[in-house]
Amino acid sequence: MIGRENGAKFVAPALIVLFLVTIYPILYAFFLSFHRRLLIFDLDKFVGLENYLFLLRDDRFWNALTNTFYFTAGSVSLELLLGLAIALLLNKPFKFRGLIRALVLIPWAIPTVVSAKMWEWIFDADFGLLNYLMGAKVNWLGNPLLAMPVAIFVDVWKTTPFVAILLMAGLQVIPRELYQSAKMDGAGNWAMFRKITLPLLKPVILVVLIFRTLDAFRVFDVIYVLTGGGPANTTETLSIYAYRVLFQTLQFGYGSTLSVVVFFCVASISVFYIKILIQENK
Amino acid sequence: MKFIFFLLLFFAASCSQKDSHLRDNGNITLVFKQGKIGDPEPIKKLLEKFEQENPGTKVKEETLPASTDEQHQFYAINLESKSSDFDVFSMDVIWVPEFARAGWLRNLNHLMPEEEKEKFFPGPRQAVQFNNNIYAIPWYIDAGLIYYRKDLLEKYGFGPPKTWPELLHIAQYISPREKGIYGYIWQGKQYEGLVCNVLEYFWGNGGRIIKDGQVAIASPENVFALQFMRDMITRYKITPALVTTAMEETTRYIFGNSRALFMRNWPYAWKLFEKNGSLVKGKVGICPLPSFPGKDSASTLGGWQLGINRFTKHPKEAEKLLRFLTSASAQKFLSLAIGYQPARKSLYQDEELIKNQPFLVSLYGIFEKARPRPVTPYYMMISQVMQPEFSAALLGIKKPAEALASTQRQIIHILGMEK
Repeated sequence: MIGRENGAKFVAPALIVLFLVTIYPILYAFFLSFHRRLLIFDLDKFVGLENYLFLLRDDRFWNALTNTFYFTAGSVSLELLLGLAIALLLNKPFKFRGLIRALVLIPWAIPTVVSAKMWEWIFDADFGLLNYLMGAKVNWLGNPLLAMPVAIFVDVWKTTPFVAILLMAGLQVIPRELYQSAKMDGAGNWAMFRKITLPLLKPVILVVLIFRTLDAFRVFDVIYVLTGGGPANTTETLSIYAYRVLFQTLQFGYGSTLSVVVFFCVASISVFYIKILIQENK
Repeated sequence: MKFIFFLLLFFAASCSQKDSHLRDNGNITLVFKQGKIGDPEPIKKLLEKFEQENPGTKVKEETLPASTDEQHQFYAINLESKSSDFDVFSMDVIWVPEFARAGWLRNLNHLMPEEEKEKFFPGPRQAVQFNNNIYAIPWYIDAGLIYYRKDLLEKYGFGPPKTWPELLHIAQYISPREKGIYGYIWQGKQYEGLVCNVLEYFWGNGGRIIKDGQVAIASPENVFALQFMRDMITRYKITPALVTTAMEETTRYIFGNSRALFMRNWPYAWKLFEKNGSLVKGKVGICPLPSFPGKDSASTLGGWQLGINRFTKHPKEAEKLLRFLTSASAQKFLSLAIGYQPARKSLYQDEELIKNQPFLVSLYGIFEKARPRPVTPYYMMISQVMQPEFSAALLGIKKPAEALASTQRQIIHILGMEK
């Protein structure tokens, strides 16, 4: 009864579900992106590449794309560096290690909207805790140069624990004997880190990078709560812009065009990383 | 295969069951949908009263999150798919033309003959119209106004300001003499509230966004007004830079902590200032927004309207409910219970209500002059364009003239989309 020829039948339900929930919406977004579709005007016509041509001239899109890269590069690199440092620290045996490990995870456990709201109050220019402690009146979220760094900081605060835990798991599978023999050969800490830890941790680092880059690239909630994309769109990312176009002003055609662009960006990032991963494994 | 068939059958059965449930023993169930408000009890009581007066009709109350954006999104998605899951619903003042244009609202001309229209404030009356047809009935009204510190103005011998230069003068005089008191605070974060603020300066200088069907946002009057807002922060220093992140509650909090002389806000803040234990209790006065010399003052209209879903299965009963909820007695009841400001003018002379909410009397003149934001189905798109540009002008990233010229171009693009 259960033979190879039956395989297709068993896989079929999963494939159908997958098609319905992911592939069909993606195809539909493609289809919509070639239309001018304005819900309120009952307007729905094929316009070919018009939306894509408009996108090329749309300053707001380029601004959002730049912001998205800024946020992604800033948050992912900091999270990786800090996460690695924390992972190395927590990997050393010390008293209350289990407890500390659990505590480190707290920021990750708080829902993003809640923590973003919390930071919004801490960074408040008038009665915020931070300004109070600093005795200053810095307009953190209202200053176009500071708003994005603050958003990156909040994301780093929240997500570093996640990175640290993943890296720690990676550290624990590195055999201790390697370090012991390296020590006997007279290797210092730095040499051991570079020659043993980093190379063996590389696959885990890559996985972390894939997760984090994709997440950061689609960032929505942290920024939406903290600044709403302001001041003057200096923190508006692609997802926030797409949300505005799609759901606030109901321009389904152009909104889909934006989503398609996000899709392609995310897809190329994944392909890039996966290629590196495959090379690693060869 | 058989399994899927049964699954489908099950769904079909449960769907039709839901349908028949609405007509249980000849009863009709209406659904009234609105955003979450503070205390849901009064509205429930009101709906119970409606049920008693209309045997055979039940009303189910369903609430949406308090966020206006989320409500808008909910209605847009559900009405686009012609949902008949709700019958009567409340709309922000800026949505009516959009929903009407999309064909999501029932025409309510017959409920608003001339003599009935006269009973509402002119602002909401305009806001519920689209192409000379009426699509909603005004329910609550809201408008921007100035809160000021009565005690401090009296101390230095000033009266409430009528023009912006007067306000500027008073703030520049008092603020340095009172420690830790900002001159004037308002809402400057990049969001809908910023548009409400900026429009008040435009109007107060005789400016418009759309004039005689033409986009006129880059007019010299508007450039001047926007520059004035920027100057209050950087040049005159009566407004702290923190307003560029401030929303209503931020400013209300600062003013309520006795930390500001003037504040622009909506009427809701009054009750909170007059509460026992409030630091500014008895020290607060209100006045209409100032204007530039020789021009008329105007404040931005806010508030909620009730409309009927075009796809309702019970238009007759829905209409009854709508009339009931927007009636003078229901508006009075809600005003007494929740403290909202009724959209019907006559209630501002209702003795019982005034005795209970004396504040309403001083609001009457402000509401009379409240102006709707551009009444066009494109409003949401136009606002999305205005917000970042205004924000950029306030922060000095762009010159006001530049920001408004760019806004003008984008609005013209939006108005051309339909073609």
